[in-house]
Amino acid sequence: MTVSKTSGFSRTVCYDCGPITLRLDFDDPTLPDALHSLLNQYDAPWSSPEIIYHASIETGAKPRNTVRPTGRYLQSYRLRVDRSGDTLHSLSEIGVWMDFDLARHSARILVPDHPDRETVIEEIEQQLVLLLARGWANSGWTPLHGGSLIPPEDDRCVLVCAPSGVGKTTFIASLLRQGWRTLGDDKILLRREGNQVIARAMARRFHLHPATVRWFPETFVVADAPRYSRWTEKRVVQFESLWPDRLLNRAVPMAVIRLERGGSLPLMVEPLDPTHIFATLLQQVAVPSDAQHARPLMACVAALAPHLRGARVMIGENAFDLPTLSTRLLDIMRDLLP
Amino acid sequence: MNDNCHWILRPDIVSTVLNDGAVLLDLRSKFFFSANASAWAVALMFENGTTFAEVYQACERWGASPRDPAIQALLDQIKAEDLIEPSTNGNLAKEPISSISWGAPILTKHRDPLQRIMVSAFDPGLPLAE
Repeated sequence: MTVSKTSGFSRTVCYDCGPITLRLDFDDPTLPDALHSLLNQYDAPWSSPEIIYHASIETGAKPRNTVRPTGRYLQSYRLRVDRSGDTLHSLSEIGVWMDFDLARHSARILVPDHPDRETVIEEIEQQLVLLLARGWANSGWTPLHGGSLIPPEDDRCVLVCAPSGVGKTTFIASLLRQGWRTLGDDKILLRREGNQVIARAMARRFHLHPATVRWFPETFVVADAPRYSRWTEKRVVQFESLWPDRLLNRAVPMAVIRLERGGSLPLMVEPLDPTHIFATLLQQVAVPSDAQHARPLMACVAALAPHLRGARVMIGENAFDLPTLSTRLLDIMRDLLP
Repeated sequence: MNDNCHWILRPDIVSTVLNDGAVLLDLRSKFFFSANASAWAVALMFENGTTFAEVYQACERWGASPRDPAIQALLDQIKAEDLIEPSTNGNLAKEPISSISWGAPILTKHRDPLQRIMVSAFDPGLPLAE
């Protein structure tokens, strides 16, 4: 992150978020610090040429456009987004408004006066996540909500897919302890390059639950780390502080794991057929309800899926208590990347 | 049903080639469908707009038996899933595929749709109660 000052704004900050640089102008000098913990998660400098996306964040301002977005383009639990030409119009629950011009790489975020400061911050965050996700897609990258594991000896990777809360991070951590490496636990960018699809890292931080220390003693430091959000016990931890030299920037996906929690046995594994491999990946991509913008995301997943081996891995509730589990997980990974 | 009515894939159905067939995603319902090569060839005809009669003719040229019940079943499914809509375009449909290795057309609806309301623009998961 870099900090400076732009005319008319009291503070400007920049984050290198993979293929794009996010430049934010604030009129409220306290907002950058409040948003830093979110934006720091996406601060992943790449050596490739940067495309700058600019956003101004203006407090107390009201939108000129009074047509409220209905969510035709995309709807999240905090945002309703519509598209008109190259511009996305996004409105949050409490009225944080964003007009994002995709062609000009420029957004204006208007923040209403509202007594609930914490919610205001969260909803600005949601708008910035929209800006980043669409900015990456606009630059030819497909954002995948998934983790990855890379063996010690080469740059092939296994994508780890599961909804939030299923245990991607714990699963990944259990293999990092055995010498495997990663691009991250839940944020990856994918892009077709020639005949293959490559994966790039988008985060340098893990989201770990303090209870992880029960299985992985070296994670005792997690309890003192800052919380990920007010809605979860998970903490934000630097990869390097726990497992040095295990974070890579780039890998070639060769397999996918669909991770599930529960089942009657500590560990169950079954192969995924090609159609379910595609479904597993697509279900981890936030696809807008807009054909023009959905098509390239689907095409990227379809280009990747046929080249992957796949496994559905079901992990029982107390499976990590078993001393043999780590060896069995290693066997699964070796089967996927022979 | 009149076999000579024109039908076209809804504009919010997005398709992409996968293996020998394709996947069709309905952006309105968020359900997606796997089509084998024969079902995909039929779906491609609807991308340009076509009639059911023209679909039967094309399928016969590709190797299907006359009035193959599997074709009727596919057309019924496409209609029932609301993947096509009436088209005012009366032009003859372009037949995008000249030949395929014909087999019974199969369109499989995936059990789990994508989420209509997601956690965030990055996380497509189902939002949980806060």
